[in-house]
Amino acid sequence: MTTPVLSVRDLTVSFPSEAGRVDAVRGVSFDVAAGRTLGIVGESGSGKSVTSLAVMGLLDENASIGGSVTFDGQELLGKSDAQMSKIRGNGIAMIFQDPLTSLTPVFTVGDQIVEALTVHNPKLSKRAAWDRAVELLRLVGIPRPQERVRSFPHEFSGGMRQRVVIAIAMANDPKLIIADEPTTALDVTIQAQILDLIKTAQRETGAAVMMITHDMGVVANVADDVLVMYAGRAIEQAPVDELFADTRMPYSIGLLGAIPRVDKTEKTPLVPITGAPPLLVDLPDACPFADRCPIVTPECRAAEPALVTVGGKADHRAACIRAEEIRAGRIDGGPVYPVPEVPASRFDEVPRDLREPTLEVENLTKSFPLTKGAFLKRKVGEVHAVKGVSFDVREGETMAIVGESGSGKTTTLLQIMDFAPQDDGDVRIVGTSVADLKHAREERALRRDVQIVFQDPMGSLDPRMTVFDVVAEPLRTVGTAAKDIGPRVDELLDLVGLDPAHSDRFPAAFSGGQRQRIGIARALATNPKLVVLDEPVSALDVSVQAGVINLLDELKGRLGLSYLFVAHDLSVVRHIADRVAVMYLGSFVEHGDVDEVFDDPQHPYTRALLSAIPVPDPVRERTREHIVLTGDLPSPTDTITGCAFVSRCPLYQTLDPAEQTRCETEVPALTGRDGVHVNACHYR
Amino acid sequence: MVVAVTNLTYFLAWAYLDPRANYVGRRPPLSEEQIVNLLEPRDLYDGTPLLVRWWHWFSGILFHWDWGVGPTGQSVNEQVAYRMWVSAELMLGATILLTVLGIALGVYSASRQYRLGDRIAQGTSIITMNIPIVVAALGLVLLAIAFNETVGTTVFYVTGSSSIGVSGFFPVLVDTLQHIALPTLALVLIGYAQYHFLQRSLLLDNIKSDYVRMARAKGLTKQQAIRKHALRTSLIPVTTQVAFSIPAVFTGAVLTESIFAWKGMGQYFIETITKNDIHGVVAVAAFGAVITAFGAILADIAVVVLDPRVRVS
Repeated sequence: MTTPVLSVRDLTVSFPSEAGRVDAVRGVSFDVAAGRTLGIVGESGSGKSVTSLAVMGLLDENASIGGSVTFDGQELLGKSDAQMSKIRGNGIAMIFQDPLTSLTPVFTVGDQIVEALTVHNPKLSKRAAWDRAVELLRLVGIPRPQERVRSFPHEFSGGMRQRVVIAIAMANDPKLIIADEPTTALDVTIQAQILDLIKTAQRETGAAVMMITHDMGVVANVADDVLVMYAGRAIEQAPVDELFADTRMPYSIGLLGAIPRVDKTEKTPLVPITGAPPLLVDLPDACPFADRCPIVTPECRAAEPALVTVGGKADHRAACIRAEEIRAGRIDGGPVYPVPEVPASRFDEVPRDLREPTLEVENLTKSFPLTKGAFLKRKVGEVHAVKGVSFDVREGETMAIVGESGSGKTTTLLQIMDFAPQDDGDVRIVGTSVADLKHAREERALRRDVQIVFQDPMGSLDPRMTVFDVVAEPLRTVGTAAKDIGPRVDELLDLVGLDPAHSDRFPAAFSGGQRQRIGIARALATNPKLVVLDEPVSALDVSVQAGVINLLDELKGRLGLSYLFVAHDLSVVRHIADRVAVMYLGSFVEHGDVDEVFDDPQHPYTRALLSAIPVPDPVRERTREHIVLTGDLPSPTDTITGCAFVSRCPLYQTLDPAEQTRCETEVPALTGRDGVHVNACHYR
Repeated sequence: MVVAVTNLTYFLAWAYLDPRANYVGRRPPLSEEQIVNLLEPRDLYDGTPLLVRWWHWFSGILFHWDWGVGPTGQSVNEQVAYRMWVSAELMLGATILLTVLGIALGVYSASRQYRLGDRIAQGTSIITMNIPIVVAALGLVLLAIAFNETVGTTVFYVTGSSSIGVSGFFPVLVDTLQHIALPTLALVLIGYAQYHFLQRSLLLDNIKSDYVRMARAKGLTKQQAIRKHALRTSLIPVTTQVAFSIPAVFTGAVLTESIFAWKGMGQYFIETITKNDIHGVVAVAAFGAVITAFGAILADIAVVVLDPRVRVS
């Protein structure tokens, strides 16, 4: 191995806070060599972002940093802001998580790239800098770079902006690129593009890459070496294959077991890690994972285990006193984590055709008017957010709608929740058509049968209401007797795995996962038949997400619920859903039983979507074929005469002109085995 | 809108003000006939039906741009045209100074948040912001008089906007500066703090934003990143507020003008009310309305210039 570009030794970072000193990073050491990628994995609060900011010297001034960071032979800690600014952007470049906010809104993207160039090469002429900016934009795949260089960031989509950020990072041929969750805010097809692009950037510049992420799939896709962080420390460190094949530390095992797999058919419950990470204030000298570890022994609490080599391999190190007993995620012949049981549903044995439908949607359409003019709003067109969508959800079944942002999946949900009467279609909930609702009373009665759980567990709970009030509110609305409310709330909280004794607390006192459980309890209060779930787990950490998914599964079995589930994460959908519909620009392009669709995707879009998801298995990930879609989702204001997917379709490229004309002019209908698996492509 | 407001003010003014009251208590007392003779040609006689008076006044504005005359016969047009510039002379300098000072201090204290410099600047601003203009002005007057006595000559004039009998460009300039220094200082002293606090809090929001961190990651030092990236975005709301305050330049500062005996719009407003000068009051109100609308337009233009996101739509 060559000398590392970046060498971090015993890095410690702590911040003062009201609760005391927060030790965000506690003695982390690693090396990154040129041309290699180090993946740093961990949940929120594990100290991975703080580590990267410490390397960049971008931490707040109140942070105290210890240890050593050597970059290219120079010690970085202790350098002044002016000295560091010579290295930042030049030797070390950084890509941030949120492309929507990391570009200054009032400067053109060209200005911002040129600035990165000229700040390190003051002699560079203006002309040359702009030429180089155009060149960089072309390199990162921005179409028509000559024109787009003068655009402002708000004229770009999220994926395009992240490309600009990468262009800025590549501008000065850095030796080290730090990418802090570069794809977390992006859709899967865009994520695939960006990951490819970072690999390209690495090839072009020969740089070392530090990839910070919480997604094990991304790690398997890009990393050569992996560092797993927990509570401010590295708890396992190994080459990527070694780590996935022979995981030693229980936390890493838990992290891998907690993610649903898009490539696996069997539906064993996920293995959640119970509890929450410790507060990083006044940590006792014990294994910080001890409270959540299923194989904890008294010795674990005696002293914090050091990161030592395991299995006699020099490059695999783990911080667990039982690491030698654990082989490939198993201990003493059994799994480290006990597999939870899922109660069987009474509908399991009933064939689908014999179950009652809880929701039938026929030709659901929603369009928004486009207006122009400041005073008199003229209608200049329509945005078709949802175009003639039909499906049904039966008892005890989970129907999932997947699609990228802007595909119209949330609008579909809201239309159903609004009981919006359709001009040329119908929405029937448990047999009642919304068109027949005459009085507010009837509407309220129907409302009991459908409840919703929102994406953001913070935003959907009123911070000034106690948990009791939050859960009791729907009960009061439907007129439950006051004496019955108390016991019912306790029962509901118990059902979702919360302690009823905590019902007098405010939402702020709960963690993200617990808040989502409160949201579920609220939705279940009126004994609904159908629960609508709008991205219920996408805001949660992996280990917490597994717990919520298991809860949803369990509730479905126990209460015989139907779910209408909207998500962009196909792994979660594969795990939880029975039926799935893939949505693109307001229409379903593929619809059917979940295993049929995932095992035998037919529409080119579904294929691309499925192949874009990184699988948490480095060996499979290297051999899998990735279809990387070009471009972004077209704007819904565009008028599209034929198939909406034409502009990005890889199949379309391979067709002869006559067939292409058919794609461009004729809207494809959903065809195939009715009710089992249909797709909307002329040639599949 | 402006027309409606102006006409409404006209009727309101007639409901509350009585030009006849100016002549009550005169020695020797004026006869009814004399009062009528004084008021009637000025359209201020309350014996004439209100609607007729209104039409006379309104048609004068509509057809001749004549805003009428006051009870003593002075033309409202002339008064406003003259006093507007007196106010502007005073307020323009003060507005520019206090805006620049406020923003500069805001940038200074935001980039040194919670350090000694920030705390001193904030403490000072809290104190100055809470000084009533009367106290500030009179305090300055006392200081200036003491100063004049110490040096033995009149450096600062404490009343009026100019001395009589000064001619030539430089003598007039020096004379104006001598007069303008104190009221400007008073206005700046109490006014700058609002921009200081506004700019500080806006800039702090932006300093913590991702794009400033990104700018630093590109290789700008913290100060460069703040000046170039954070300041530009945080100036947008400040500019809106400054643009809205520009009309005040022409409507004047009521108390400051009264204390320093400047014959500006602010003082005119007080004067017209005390003298039951209906046409003058209405003209001041109309002027204020027009200039506020102008300020709103100015604010919109400023935002469009500064913020490219608004330009598209």
